[in-house]
Amino acid sequence: MAQDWKSFKPVLIPNIPDLAKIDVYEKNGGYSAIKKILTDDKWDSQAVISEVKEANIRGRGGAGFNAGMKWSFMPEPDGGPRYLAANGDESEPGTFKDRKIFEFNPHLFIEGCLIAAYAMKIDAVYVYIRGEYREFINMMDKAIEDAYKKGYLGKNILKSDFSVDMYTHSGAGAYICGEETSLMESLEGKRGYPRVKPPFPAQKGLWGRPTTINNIETLANVPHVINNGASWYKSIGPENHPGPVLYGISGHVNKPGVYEFPAGMKITDLIHEVCGGVRGNKGIKAIIPGGASTPPIRGDVIDGVTMDADGLREVGTLMGTAGMLVLDEDTDIVDVITRISHFFDHESCGQCTPCRDGTGWLYKLMSKINNGEGEMRDLDLLIDVCNKMEGRTICALADAACWPVRNAVERFREDFEAKCKKTVYAVA
Amino acid sequence: MPEIIIDNVRYEYEQPGKVLQFMLDQGLDLPYFCYHPSMSIPANCRQCLVKAGTPIVDRETGKPELDEDGNPKIRYFPKFMTACSLDMSDGMVVHTHVTSEEVRRAQADNLELILINHPLDCPICDQAGECPLQILTYKYGPEGSRFEHKKVHKPKRIQLGPRVVLDAERCINCTRCTRFTEEISKSNQLTIVARGDKNYPMTAPGETFDDPYSLNTVDICPVGALTSADFRFKARVWEMAQTPSIDITNGKGCNVDLWTRDNLVLRITPRYNKEINDHWMPDEGRMAYRQMNENRVSKPEIKLSASEHSKTSWNNALMTFVEQIEAHKPEEILVIGSPHAPVEDNFLLQQFFNKLGVSDTLFSPHITPGKGDDFLITDDEAPNTNGCRMLGLGEIDKKKLEAELKSDKYKMVVILTDDLFGRYEIEPSITEGKFTLTFATNYNATTKAADLIIPVTCSAEHTGSYVSVDGRIQRTLPAKETLYSNRRLNLEMSLSRLDHFGTKFDNWVSDRNRIDCIPAWEFLVRTAYEMNLKLGFESSREIMAKISDELPALNGVTYERMDEERGIQLDLKQIPAENVS
Ligand SMILES: Cc1cc2nc3c(=O)[nH]c(=O)nc-3n(C[C@H](O)[C@H](O)[C@H](O)COP(=O)(O)O)c2cc1C
Ligand code: SF4
Ligand code: SF4
Ligand code: FES
Repeated sequence: MAQDWKSFKPVLIPNIPDLAKIDVYEKNGGYSAIKKILTDDKWDSQAVISEVKEANIRGRGGAGFNAGMKWSFMPEPDGGPRYLAANGDESEPGTFKDRKIFEFNPHLFIEGCLIAAYAMKIDAVYVYIRGEYREFINMMDKAIEDAYKKGYLGKNILKSDFSVDMYTHSGAGAYICGEETSLMESLEGKRGYPRVKPPFPAQKGLWGRPTTINNIETLANVPHVINNGASWYKSIGPENHPGPVLYGISGHVNKPGVYEFPAGMKITDLIHEVCGGVRGNKGIKAIIPGGASTPPIRGDVIDGVTMDADGLREVGTLMGTAGMLVLDEDTDIVDVITRISHFFDHESCGQCTPCRDGTGWLYKLMSKINNGEGEMRDLDLLIDVCNKMEGRTICALADAACWPVRNAVERFREDFEAKCKKTVYAVA
Repeated sequence: MPEIIIDNVRYEYEQPGKVLQFMLDQGLDLPYFCYHPSMSIPANCRQCLVKAGTPIVDRETGKPELDEDGNPKIRYFPKFMTACSLDMSDGMVVHTHVTSEEVRRAQADNLELILINHPLDCPICDQAGECPLQILTYKYGPEGSRFEHKKVHKPKRIQLGPRVVLDAERCINCTRCTRFTEEISKSNQLTIVARGDKNYPMTAPGETFDDPYSLNTVDICPVGALTSADFRFKARVWEMAQTPSIDITNGKGCNVDLWTRDNLVLRITPRYNKEINDHWMPDEGRMAYRQMNENRVSKPEIKLSASEHSKTSWNNALMTFVEQIEAHKPEEILVIGSPHAPVEDNFLLQQFFNKLGVSDTLFSPHITPGKGDDFLITDDEAPNTNGCRMLGLGEIDKKKLEAELKSDKYKMVVILTDDLFGRYEIEPSITEGKFTLTFATNYNATTKAADLIIPVTCSAEHTGSYVSVDGRIQRTLPAKETLYSNRRLNLEMSLSRLDHFGTKFDNWVSDRNRIDCIPAWEFLVRTAYEMNLKLGFESSREIMAKISDELPALNGVTYERMDEERGIQLDLKQIPAENVS
């Protein structure tokens, strides 16, 4: 890591009072990136895309895809409308970071959208926000209104020939609407069923037009890249997964919350230094590093493991949304996985067979085991049901439902077996 | 030509399409549920999984890389692909269950998953016997299930609309029904509600599924989740015989199948014809089965008083007809053909009275302006208006018809199968003092007014040709027997029935439910024989041969061609346009 995390100054949610107010944001250098782009000829759309690509902002929505690369997939304009959909559905259990941006630094995000729209020649931005975030939707609406008033949104922005409109759209309580193609269906006013890919959103997205979908936090990173350059950005955190990250830490720690630090933080530093250690100084049973769908890892493998794509791959898990759940040694892991299985069963859109019926089956098996009615053969069956589901569905929800189960059974087998062995068989 | 290799066999193709459709076109087998060739491809059932790959192309030379044996190296997609949504490309390699054990297992896995929440109530399910889920499970499914939990319970016996009933537990959520109302009938009346394994199709709150095409969803539902309120529990599929025919309730000529048991038509379903109705038909046409069974005139009837008829023998009916003809001058006889009757009957009626010196045969189209849509329902409520026009019958409207019926010129009226009195609400007294004969399939206001009723075969009993509003000539085929076995009709029937012969389990060979009627043309031929008129036809097939000789518009039209080509498109320019005189 190029710089000590302790001296890192937050840039996404810096500690500046009232930064959500447009004047304060401007006073602190806000909207200078878009001004720079619109006034300096050097910054044509190609140059913006190259810079963002070079910075290697890895998507903060879960999949970790290079944002600039994604932008470069947009086809040449053909005169018709093109869209950006900003994904603020934030429904993955253990994830609560985008709300911080809505609440504390909405204009940074708006500016990121402006730059993205400029780079991809987009004329409308939709901000899709989970419906439960009513408060934050109102905040975003206010921020957008202020930005319009100041001429950062709308026709001929800052007297240039660049125009873009921005709208918020409220979700209605479905996790699946965070999946990018389902989000588009939902935005179009339809049932949130993920679409079959190909065609990809860049080819056929919202209303059949070229569309890019990015997470809120991903977009909030963009103004800093333009202001300070890709090489500055890459100097934060690991080369292969750089930049500041909003770590949402919950579970059995003394000070849970959202913390901004460079990517690649040691898990142990996050727990012990940032969050003030585990409650009651207990040992750690398990970590779920990036939201409920990422594979849980054992507490005894976390020493030295860093929160970035490569570091987490080594211990068989994923960065996801960096929404880290810490579980102490007293945790009943079978119970936790049962709860997670319930979530995916409840949230499967029901479109494809393996996910629709498989998530239910997993949950029923997990409940059976958790209730002390399980048998050893149920453990093999769990793995086998996962085999039938993974990689055979339209979207990744089925995979997301399987990973916690499969990995927990493999990594915490003794806990599962212990529950199964306790099963009392009725004697007829 | 580009080619695709499926299970190690090379197939050339011209237009790249989707792999599944290509396989179906080649007669290859692959299990699938959600795919329907006429609708969008949601790829949601995941049953058609295959292993697929494309040749690895060398970036520098642009040529495929070859292995040691000189075969192109293949890069397989990392996951199984759904064949229904997979685009074909040159050199693509596809493995199905035939050559891949992995794929075979994946198909069985998927069926195991589909079945865990399916009620498996096949013994009481209407769909059994024609159920893709049942058939594919036998063919590709697992041996048993390892699911030992309570199944998900969902609403049952939900009357979605007047004609369609839902059993949500049987639904496999393929979205064929919702896509139908969205893309085909465009009523958008159905949508999927709830999530995950609890979801099922429903109307919006307070709405009913009264789409005029609603019953098509019952046909395309791959399980017994949607059933016809009318047909439910009436018969098992394997007890019925299936005969191709056409819809006679409007002018479109939708191709249909008549399903019979025990000489009753129990249901009517659409039969694929790309040129006319694709896979669909309006609900109204399906209800026509009732008039083929119920309220039928069986054995001739003669009028006793204003309110009473009595059955009479065929011989007596025929002699009465002959007597009446002989008692009147040709110009005293009013002859009215029918857009509801086939070309052959109208032709023979025209010929018969021509020979007697009657110069004009008239007909009155049965058109209700505004009834039609731009899909399969037409303003024309009769199947053969264009057939009558082609024969040159004189077209008259209600006013003209009433004037003719009233006119003192006429002393005798002959009406071919058409409820003129009913559909125009004409008083029976209008023909007082005239001898009125009607050919009829069913009792109606016209039979009530008639002095002599000749019961004739309906489209389910005879073979006859009809010309659609779009100028397509097609024929019906006998699906049920008349009371006295008719050798000619039976001959057509054995050709037409899809199983080609009956078995002793085949209930339609029983004597029940047979109607004592004959084709209208046959009655006219018998009368002609009695009167020594030269009108010797032995079958409607012969009549068609004669018509196609005489009418330029129908040159070259034969039953064989109609059968082979699924109807023949005639030159609309040769059909006289509507000319209400
Ligand atoms: C089931 C499912 C749920 C998802 N939910 C979210 C979400 O709530 N927020 C989000 O930003 N991305 C979510 N994603 C990821 C999006 O599909 C998409 O990859 C992301 O928004 C792209 O933005 P990024 O490249 O900036 O990360 C979800 C994906 C899946 C499969
Ligand atoms: S994988 Fe699950 S959530 Fe995704 S489309 Fe299929 S059924 Fe819906
Ligand atoms: S009711 Fe039938 S057609 Fe409709 S979604 Fe269910 S299985 Fe498919
Ligand atoms: S037919 Fe349903 S996924 Fe292909």
